[in-house]
Amino acid sequence: MSKLAKVFVFAEHVDAMRELAQGAAQLGETTALIWAGDKSQAGGTDTVYYLGELSNERILEHYAPTIINLIKTEQPSLVLVESSRKGRLMAGIIAAAMGTSVLADAAQITVDNGVVTQRMVYGGAALSTERSTAPTTVATVSAGIFEATDTGKAANLVEVPFIAPAPTVKCLERKIKAGESVNLRAAKRIVAVGRGFTSPEELQLAEQLAAAIGAEVGCTRPIAEEEKWMDKARYIGVSGVMAKPELYIGIGISGQVQHMVGVSSARTIIAINSDKNAMIFNQCDYGIVGDLKTVLPALTAKLSK
Amino acid sequence: MKIVACVKAVPEEQDISIKPDHTLDLSKAELKVGQYDLNAVEAAVQLQEATGSEEPLLVSIGTPKGLKNTKLQKAMLSRGAGALFGVADDSLDSIDALATASILAAAITKIGGVDLVVCGEGSGDIYSQQVGPLLGQLLGFANLNAVSRITPRGEKLEVERTLENEVEVLEVTLPAVLSVTTDINKARIPGLKEILAAGKKPITVWGAGDLAMTAASNIEVISTLAPPKAERKQIVLEGDSDENISQLADNLRKVL
Ligand SMILES: Cc1cc2nc3c(=O)[nH]c(=O)nc-3n(C[C@H](O)[C@H](O)[C@H](O)COP(=O)(O)OP(=O)(O)OC[C@H]3O[C@@H](n4cnc5c(N)ncnc54)[C@H](O)[C@@H]3O)c2cc1C
Repeated sequence: MSKLAKVFVFAEHVDAMRELAQGAAQLGETTALIWAGDKSQAGGTDTVYYLGELSNERILEHYAPTIINLIKTEQPSLVLVESSRKGRLMAGIIAAAMGTSVLADAAQITVDNGVVTQRMVYGGAALSTERSTAPTTVATVSAGIFEATDTGKAANLVEVPFIAPAPTVKCLERKIKAGESVNLRAAKRIVAVGRGFTSPEELQLAEQLAAAIGAEVGCTRPIAEEEKWMDKARYIGVSGVMAKPELYIGIGISGQVQHMVGVSSARTIIAINSDKNAMIFNQCDYGIVGDLKTVLPALTAKLSK
Repeated sequence: MKIVACVKAVPEEQDISIKPDHTLDLSKAELKVGQYDLNAVEAAVQLQEATGSEEPLLVSIGTPKGLKNTKLQKAMLSRGAGALFGVADDSLDSIDALATASILAAAITKIGGVDLVVCGEGSGDIYSQQVGPLLGQLLGFANLNAVSRITPRGEKLEVERTLENEVEVLEVTLPAVLSVTTDINKARIPGLKEILAAGKKPITVWGAGDLAMTAASNIEVISTLAPPKAERKQIVLEGDSDENISQLADNLRKVL
């Protein structure tokens, strides 16, 4: 594979920085990181372009004109962007400023007469292979595509002079969320819950089954995003966690493609659903048509024996 | 406050079938409004209600098949918006996010005087989550995504953003492009009355030639193919009798 002349990384979290720095080294002759916040954490690339501290007075978005100017000056062939919320916004801002589109949610990146990425479209029903021939390609990269490297110190740290943005966004407050740290991507067994559950209390039925067989609990997007009964780090699918368990048990889940694509590589898929026409039954190895309130306690009791 | 919400007609994913050569057959897929665009429309309507401004406008880019379809027009207009502006051309099928954003920018500029553009988190089909961010930059407006609350504050807006590990509260000076989360609201479900009334709302459909824009793209889609499907046993027991549950437990034990 031929290499690109200059690959930049834009990340806001250290984990993503380490992965993308590895990706940049694989794809580029020279590499650089654009970083704001804790300077001591930056590294893994030949150069670090350090923007400055993050505070209420200066959130990441306030650095947009500085970043655009840097990219226009340095003309990297590729900018790998963390697929966090702020990463996605910055990817769009950089791309529009450079007159190109964004290769979004790349699950694979190679160099072949341009930058070629693969990503899921139509909720995961298809994989789309896209090639960018833009002078500067901008790609948001899914987590886990590159293995994180040990971030050695960058040979070269450049402090980038701040360019003040238009004063249209003022940060009044920043609150740290108490997030859960769970890594469903590494789970071998997953018990997943869907909208067939009608209250947070009912979820205990699934938790008890999971405990009996040593599984992690996951869910569909509406359980996390709409009901907010579970942390967003637990929802599986095209816009959530792409898991690779050996065993997946889907309970009260209809089986729509956006969710199922997140467990399609599971060796065994088991479905529990009260609707015999639920789509999940066409995609399972073993299934039972029944009420989860009846099936789960009995199943857990039998497996705990 | 002049508010615009962006909506896209997308194929019903359950009707997408896969051809033997792994390409997709979209010909039988009915079009519907992207699921997450409904939150954008709802956010625009709620803000209009809170500020007493005129009803929000909808802008949609796509093919004539989608934008001239009356059922779809009603689906778009039955949720509180006042009018629909469409840009329809056969060449606008599966264009990339930058092309979409440039046409939206041209349409919004042509409408004129727009203070706020609300976008959904991502389209229901391609879901790049990029049109809002690109559009904000092209228009030179204040530009934020992950917006989970919008509250009017005089001439400005107070906006909450829900990020991975933090929540930001921001004061935004208009004009702005805000891309909202899917949990910002519960989109209303229109009743028969709203659907009938939607049929009487003004609709303007421009052709690609009516707008000043250049939508050249340097991204080429090489292929769109369904991944190979794993064979599944599909052994499904009907009924939650104790016997069936025992059999499921036995099958489950074998794979533990
Ligand atoms: C762009 C986009 C991206 C998306 N990304 C994701 C994603 O990453 N992950 C994801 O999960 N979704 C995603 N979705 C949403 C997805 O389309 C579905 O809406 C969602 O997966 C459905 O969740 P569900 O199966 O829990 O709910 P439903 O579809 O409502 O299914 C509930 C099921 O529970 C069954 N049930 C009801 N009562 C009982 C009972 N007592 N006992 C047993 N079964 C019962 C019902 O028969 C039904 O089959 C996305 C959608 C879009 C448009």
